[in-house]
Amino acid sequence: MIIKTFYKESKELWRDGRVRITFAIVVLLLGIAVWISARQYQNINEQHQIAQKAEREVWDNQGEKNPHSAAHYGTYAFKPKYPLSLVDQGVDKYVGSSIFLEAHKRNEAQFSAAADQTGLSRFGDLTPDFILLFIIPLLIILLGYNTFTKEREMGTLTLLKSQGITPWKWALGKWTALFLPVLLITALLFLITGLVLSNLKDFGVFNWQSLFSLFLVYIGYYIIFINIVLFISLKATKSGIALVLSLSVWILACLAAPKAASNIAEAKHPYPTRQEFAANVLKDKQNGLDGHNPWSKESKLLEQEVLAEYGVDSIHKLPFNFDAYRMQKGEEHEAEIYFKHYNYLKDQYSKQSDLYQSLALVSPYLPTRFLSMAIARTDYTAHWDFSDAAEDYRIATQKFLNANFAENSSYGEWGYRADADFWKKLPDFSYTPPKLNAILSSNASNLWILGAWMAVSFALFLITTKTV
Amino acid sequence: MLRYNFKYELRLLLRSRWIQILSLILLVLFGFSTFNGIEKVAKRKSDISIAKQQVQESDEAMLKLLDSVERGLPVSASSWTIPTSPMAVGNYHPRVAAMEPKPMAFVATGQADLFTHYIKPTVSGDDFALNFTEMTSPVQLLFGSFDLAFVIVYLLPLLIIAFTYNVLSAEKEQGSLRLLASQPISIRKWVFQKLILRFFWLSVLVTLSMLIVFLLVGTETFEWGGIVSLLGLTLSYMLIWFALAFLVNLFVGTSAKNAVSLIMLWVIFVLLTPSVINQLANTLYPMPSRTLMINEMREHKAEATKRQDEILDNFLRDHPEYAINDSTQSRNFYHSYMASQKVVKEALEPIVDTYEQQLHKQQKWAKKLQWFSPAIVVQESLNQLAGTSTADYESYRNQVIGFAETWRNHLMTYLYNNKPFAQQDYPSLPNFQFSYIANATIGLSVLVLLLIAGALLAFGFAVQGRLQKRGLLSN
Repeated sequence: MIIKTFYKESKELWRDGRVRITFAIVVLLLGIAVWISARQYQNINEQHQIAQKAEREVWDNQGEKNPHSAAHYGTYAFKPKYPLSLVDQGVDKYVGSSIFLEAHKRNEAQFSAAADQTGLSRFGDLTPDFILLFIIPLLIILLGYNTFTKEREMGTLTLLKSQGITPWKWALGKWTALFLPVLLITALLFLITGLVLSNLKDFGVFNWQSLFSLFLVYIGYYIIFINIVLFISLKATKSGIALVLSLSVWILACLAAPKAASNIAEAKHPYPTRQEFAANVLKDKQNGLDGHNPWSKESKLLEQEVLAEYGVDSIHKLPFNFDAYRMQKGEEHEAEIYFKHYNYLKDQYSKQSDLYQSLALVSPYLPTRFLSMAIARTDYTAHWDFSDAAEDYRIATQKFLNANFAENSSYGEWGYRADADFWKKLPDFSYTPPKLNAILSSNASNLWILGAWMAVSFALFLITTKTV
Repeated sequence: MLRYNFKYELRLLLRSRWIQILSLILLVLFGFSTFNGIEKVAKRKSDISIAKQQVQESDEAMLKLLDSVERGLPVSASSWTIPTSPMAVGNYHPRVAAMEPKPMAFVATGQADLFTHYIKPTVSGDDFALNFTEMTSPVQLLFGSFDLAFVIVYLLPLLIIAFTYNVLSAEKEQGSLRLLASQPISIRKWVFQKLILRFFWLSVLVTLSMLIVFLLVGTETFEWGGIVSLLGLTLSYMLIWFALAFLVNLFVGTSAKNAVSLIMLWVIFVLLTPSVINQLANTLYPMPSRTLMINEMREHKAEATKRQDEILDNFLRDHPEYAINDSTQSRNFYHSYMASQKVVKEALEPIVDTYEQQLHKQQKWAKKLQWFSPAIVVQESLNQLAGTSTADYESYRNQVIGFAETWRNHLMTYLYNNKPFAQQDYPSLPNFQFSYIANATIGLSVLVLLLIAGALLAFGFAVQGRLQKRGLLSN
């Protein structure tokens, strides 16, 4: 029964010219989207490598210089593009791609792509994730809205009933007929992406495992949509009504809910403005140790402590340059301030993401979106992870420079210059994004929500078949 | 006939509860989105006024400090922050360069969540140091905002589709089409009248619910011109969708097929065309890599730093009086720093310009191609109306950079004259006043939208008339 229904439905779908055209359009769009993203990915990574090399050369060839001048001169950490951004660009467009690492200051990533584009970019981009998240669910609706209503409208339902069908088997056949084309198209996309990625150079952290997890997430998302569309088709009396209802669900889940969620999240847990943030940091900094200010109360305190520790009566007698030591202490203090303020941002965001998760009960789009971005390493957490790594590197660099300053000069010797080849000894900045397992376990709640959606919607659909 | 149609259509819409349901949906959608918009504008205003107040307070403190210094009293502030130094004023007492919202700003978030609305430019630091993007969670930027523009551009067409997809096909499916055909009115005229009546009722509902929401949620300053523009845009956009529904009703068959066709049009106009045009704009006029720009900027800066001594030497040779008067280290630093700053700025200018130019080209391209999708036209016009379009933020950027220059120059005169900043100099400090660019294109957009709608309707009439020979009733 299941197989027969499946054959019949598949044949019917295939015979429908509109279905074939729609299918062709979706495949074409996917092709274009993958092609564009692949080119972009390659381009950006090439630029990334060039920039990284050039920046390192600039750093290495500073010549003789005071280490602290070099610290102010600073260096850049460039964010690479990850292979699976080919599938989901996530928030990449809205976060900066380079972080300036300098003394005394933790800078935010600069230059987001969105700021350099016209207002049109806010409509969305033609990327695979746009098609996977918006267009394929729409395709499911178009393929499946009349699955059951047509039997009513053509009068074949009575015929079927008189044959003594088992409703759930019949329904399952129809379900499979709708699922298979969607599975095929998605599998095709992921296979092509996998092949493209494994043939591209510098694919860094790409592995098939992540790609497969991403594939499973999307299949789960589509199963939910299939369940909902078929459930509506079972309940509705007319095809037109079923279509309009399914579309309303789609709009609500994919368009309205995320936007409403973002508004509510912002109203409830707002970020400070850039100026406020800077002002708050400055205020904390003024209350603490400033490495450049030997006259402040905190500096005097530090001085006494160090003098007592080494058992000498003058900072000139210390075995190292106290200026540099104070600089390093100030640096550590400032790093703590930044840590605190950035943690506040992270806190606000984690409250926001709790809100997104609670709204995921209304919209299966939300958990899918977050999971997909997370697995592709293009989500906000991945960005935080990178910028934290850059900050660690910045702190380590300051320590490296101040240590050289402290060891090789005496107090008040601001004219000290480090050797020209000293800079080469600074280790390179290297960053490895989190592993798949870590990502999945930190996104466990989204996985659960997605699973619950699948189970509940499927159960609802199967139970409803009984009432036909 | 129109009179009958009018009467029965109204009765039908009331009995099928369409009018009641639509009013409720519209009130909820407009209410929620307007509330969101107004909340955002209120936050923007309060952020700016807090910033301004802080500046005012710090100004008062500065004046007090100046007073003490001028009277020769001891002060407790760090030496380099004492405002007799013009550079201390320029760095520690910057003005707020704010972009106050337009009265209609609540209509469209546009780029408002991406860019900041106030900046305090200081005398040191170059224009690259001015970061114009706002600190927002990128997830929020990705999802966008549930604003009035979203309701109008995305959701209203869908309501129209649900409201119109089966005007003719329902008659066919119920079997009442034959009855209708026997009436002394052509089918297309009948469909036309029916749709125009629905358009009329929906327009009334939209206008009323918008006005009710505005009154209830309360926009502080009621700008009638803006509201008229908003309504003009909304109604002409609605008319386009009704015209499309008219064509689909005439040319396509069953209710479900109609709905599918209309949805396809919606996907093409609202989702696909904007992203394709944007993609093309990025491909045709690609932004030069910011990453590579950083390299270039670093090289220029390194070079300018090397030349800094040279620049200062020249400067001091030209102005020996400064060298003699030079009493403190910090003064010396600022003299050379500010002099070389100009050189760095000049070197960086062409790089900054390439970005602005490329953005200009993209905008021009987008402006040309926007006519492919009424959704883009309306969204862009609403952004203009709200003062949150890309062009508005670009103009803000340029005005702030201009003001930063004024601020720098004003205080640099004190620096190079070695004239300390005094209390009486305070009132002459420059202030920033933002002025919005004139938006003359909204009227044009409305006109073109109406023309397109008219053309679609006329096309339906003309072509369907010819096709009718085949017979509408024959299957």
